[in-house]
Amino acid sequence: MTKINAYRRLDGRVGIRNYILAISMVSCSNTVTERIAHATGTIPVVHEQGCTEFEHDHERTKLALISAGRNPNVGGVLLVGLGCEQTNMEEIRSAIAETGKPVETVLIQREGGSPQAEKRGVEHIRRIKAMVEAERRVPCPVGDLVVGVQCGGSDWTTALSANPVIGVMTDLVIANGGSVLMSEVAGFPGSEHIVAARAATRDVGLRVLDMISELREEYHSTYGQRIEEVNPTPGNKAGGITTLVEKSMGNIKKMGTSPVQGVLKLGEPVPHPGLWVIDNRAQGPDPFNLTGLAMEGAVVTAFSSGRGSPVGNAVMPTLKLTGNPETFEKLASITDFNAGTVIQGCSIPETGAALYAFLLEVANGRETKSEINGNFEYIIPRETARGTHGRCPLSS
Amino acid sequence: MENAAIKKAIRIEPEDNVAVVVQDTAAGETLHCAELRIDAKTAVPLGHKVAITSITRGRPVVKYAVTIGLASCDIAEGEHVHSHNVEDITNRLCNEYERAFRAEKG
Repeated sequence: MTKINAYRRLDGRVGIRNYILAISMVSCSNTVTERIAHATGTIPVVHEQGCTEFEHDHERTKLALISAGRNPNVGGVLLVGLGCEQTNMEEIRSAIAETGKPVETVLIQREGGSPQAEKRGVEHIRRIKAMVEAERRVPCPVGDLVVGVQCGGSDWTTALSANPVIGVMTDLVIANGGSVLMSEVAGFPGSEHIVAARAATRDVGLRVLDMISELREEYHSTYGQRIEEVNPTPGNKAGGITTLVEKSMGNIKKMGTSPVQGVLKLGEPVPHPGLWVIDNRAQGPDPFNLTGLAMEGAVVTAFSSGRGSPVGNAVMPTLKLTGNPETFEKLASITDFNAGTVIQGCSIPETGAALYAFLLEVANGRETKSEINGNFEYIIPRETARGTHGRCPLSS
Repeated sequence: MENAAIKKAIRIEPEDNVAVVVQDTAAGETLHCAELRIDAKTAVPLGHKVAITSITRGRPVVKYAVTIGLASCDIAEGEHVHSHNVEDITNRLCNEYERAFRAEKG
């Protein structure tokens, strides 16, 4: 059985990086957080929220910040707050500390101002670093890997070469006992019958159908038009896509052919290995979805982009591939893997196997372009309030 | 690597009866699609589908190993496959499946 060399965390999960984060509790503490991270060579997690939020939005902020700290790629955390914000720093501290990693806190008002908070934060991080740097990679089964899949900045090659290649990689991860997380559920309508047919149980099939019915209903009640009425778009048709089934299959292809184990809401832990659908309906730019995958515990995401994209994530390397050989040549500085060889005559299965091999190299420590270029975004996925939302499942 | 002048089409799954051309293709040109050689009967633009077998009217058009629509007329091998000769049955596929799935005993 193939092994990877990775970090076995005290909660049993496996990380492929040993990042240290400086997490801002509220937008008021963003600058101090960024300055501490800059001074210590660590990763800042800053955001636009943390105060005067409605409960629905604040629960999402809390979940996102806790999930960042709990991701197995993270070895230690500093929390930086102002002192009077809505975000409860102690609640976040204890939810992260539960995983056994060092967590320190600093408050600007308590320290007597920004320079003082910065100085204290840098001292904290030096201590955290000493502990975290003592951690060593150990052999772990591929089965401990949680891998996200995503696409963005698509072109005509995405659904033809890149996503089918990701699908082969997905099947290989799962065949080796690992987990793959697929989100982008807004792209499911049109192939929900295919996804439901692959469900491991009847209940899971119903969850998939319920989720997509709800999504279709939401679109219809919000915009007054059905998804089929606006899809495929004129641009899709000009590019050769004939039907909505065809369009959505281009997205679904990243899931490979393994049975779907279940549908998880953001914050629900992955119960066991296999292929999972993450019900993240946040409509927005690519980092929304990417951050959602990181929040679910993905330690790496394979991200295909026909036109090329630099996006990364604060807690997770992003393995960027393109199905377009011209993009790979032009944007090699932001692209890790060339799946455009399929266009030039290589087979999809052999290219997918090569991508899987590359993924294991990244798991073993090979830096991705997103890391080399410092793309450590953490953009909290925001969803419209709806009646079914519960409280942040990771805090007590 | 094959000669760049060779025109190509990619069949994504072995079950598919259409392939996607990776360059603009003119009628009369020969397409290499894995082990197959297909003579394009019509022009097929970059990224569009070409029939790699004949597809009788009413039969499924298969891409990604799933039905993406039905042939709305007889389609010959080598013809461009798009809205002009494919019936979009997305609604039927999704709704009928969902009704049948929900009707099944748990």
